[in-house]
Amino acid sequence: MITTIAHLESRRLLRNMQTWVMVAIMAALFGYLFLKQLESFLVVQETLAAQDHPIGLSGFMSVRYLEPLCLAFTLVAPLFAMRSFSEEYRQQTFALWQSSPVSASALVTGKFLGVFTVLAMLIALACGMLFIMKFYVAIDIPLMLSAALGLILCTATCTACGIYFSTLTHNSLIAIVASLALLLFSWLLGSANFASLPVQFLKDLSIANHLHGFFQGYIQTKDIAFFVLSIALFLGLSIIKIDALRHTGQ
Amino acid sequence: MAAVLDNNKESTNFALQAASLNKRLSANAAVSNISLNLQRGEVLGLLGLNGAGKTTTLRMLSGVLVPDSGTVSIDGFSLSDQPLQARSRLGYLPDQPPLYDDLRVNEYLILAGKIRGLRGKQLQERQSTVIEQCMLGPVVGKHIGALSKGYKQRVGLAQALIHEPALLLLDEPSNGLDPQQLEGMRTLISDVAVTSAVILSTHLLSEAQAICNRVAIIHEGHLVTDQASTGEDLERIFQGAIQ
Repeated sequence: MITTIAHLESRRLLRNMQTWVMVAIMAALFGYLFLKQLESFLVVQETLAAQDHPIGLSGFMSVRYLEPLCLAFTLVAPLFAMRSFSEEYRQQTFALWQSSPVSASALVTGKFLGVFTVLAMLIALACGMLFIMKFYVAIDIPLMLSAALGLILCTATCTACGIYFSTLTHNSLIAIVASLALLLFSWLLGSANFASLPVQFLKDLSIANHLHGFFQGYIQTKDIAFFVLSIALFLGLSIIKIDALRHTGQ
Repeated sequence: MAAVLDNNKESTNFALQAASLNKRLSANAAVSNISLNLQRGEVLGLLGLNGAGKTTTLRMLSGVLVPDSGTVSIDGFSLSDQPLQARSRLGYLPDQPPLYDDLRVNEYLILAGKIRGLRGKQLQERQSTVIEQCMLGPVVGKHIGALSKGYKQRVGLAQALIHEPALLLLDEPSNGLDPQQLEGMRTLISDVAVTSAVILSTHLLSEAQAICNRVAIIHEGHLVTDQASTGEDLERIFQGAIQ
């Protein structure tokens, strides 16, 4: 059942012209950023080599090319997820799911996987550019895989957030604004300087703070746990909201 | 798994058993103490003025809306305790058909069949059957968004029928149909009623008289009449019920 729903969701996304416009913009961004950072590396290569522990091409591209893309995916994932439920409400197609033998958890998971599948193609495109370098220079594959995992987890979290806000409203625009506000606030928390101890824990809620390790090649359990729990939280809240709709009739 | 689940089925001949349904959605929209039992072969016309509570009642019977109190069983499965089994035995066409404009008719019917558990050859056979029943042959490869209102209504009906439900709930099914299509719809409902129970809400008394062998009248959220349609003057019964 989840596969059927995911397939429907990704197919409908791929038939939408807005999706392809976003894909084109993202592909252009990947290309520009990749070439710009590659050029930057060639310029600073000799300076880097003179350092005690010089950073290689893989490390440089991981931090300067893939890590900034996390912010781009933070903006794009809610755009892809915003229609998942709000458009169903608006077009009154949601009754099909409510009267069918489909559980709220299967519906939410299916829609999440459908949206994420399309985004995963973009992630593959972004990471593919790096892996293509393998044919020309030696690259640090484990570091690249670690960075790709960071990108995947960040995108999945933002998708789950977008799905949740999409369950809350009939208006896709409100869904995207709300999810972007929350996600960007989470990014800003990472750069805020909290002097007082009681709010220090807010830094732990920052997406940015949990991403650095992945792009430097060390994966920490607490970082993976943060993303997995965030995804579970947003999807869980979505399931609760979908179930609650049967009571409120909205 | 299905066999185990079927063992939990209440022993009954009723396609629908609804008892003491109550729902309050807002100060003005409420349904009180609605009880209905329906056997396969029965076609119940749900009549009432606008805002009487027909749609709210159908939404509760379809599982779209959970009643504040009362119980609903579909083909022996409780909607509250065994919702997936119960919902797999009903077909529901809301007043606004739940259609995806960007899907083709055949894609949509395959989706409708799959989410009701149909697969492979069985799905293909049922898809062909409902396309024929609902006269969708000429538009089967077209996008739903490009169809006329009448065709959209029939696609909505096809999705409700594809899994051969024990209970078919139709909310204003004649919306958007021309007289010829209306006649086709009546024939189809009569055919479906051989193996299923059907409830249709309508504001057209002539339609209820033509198709239904039983009528229930809802007024201000209460079920005021539930009787066999004997062919006597339905308008007189209706006027009497809502006085």
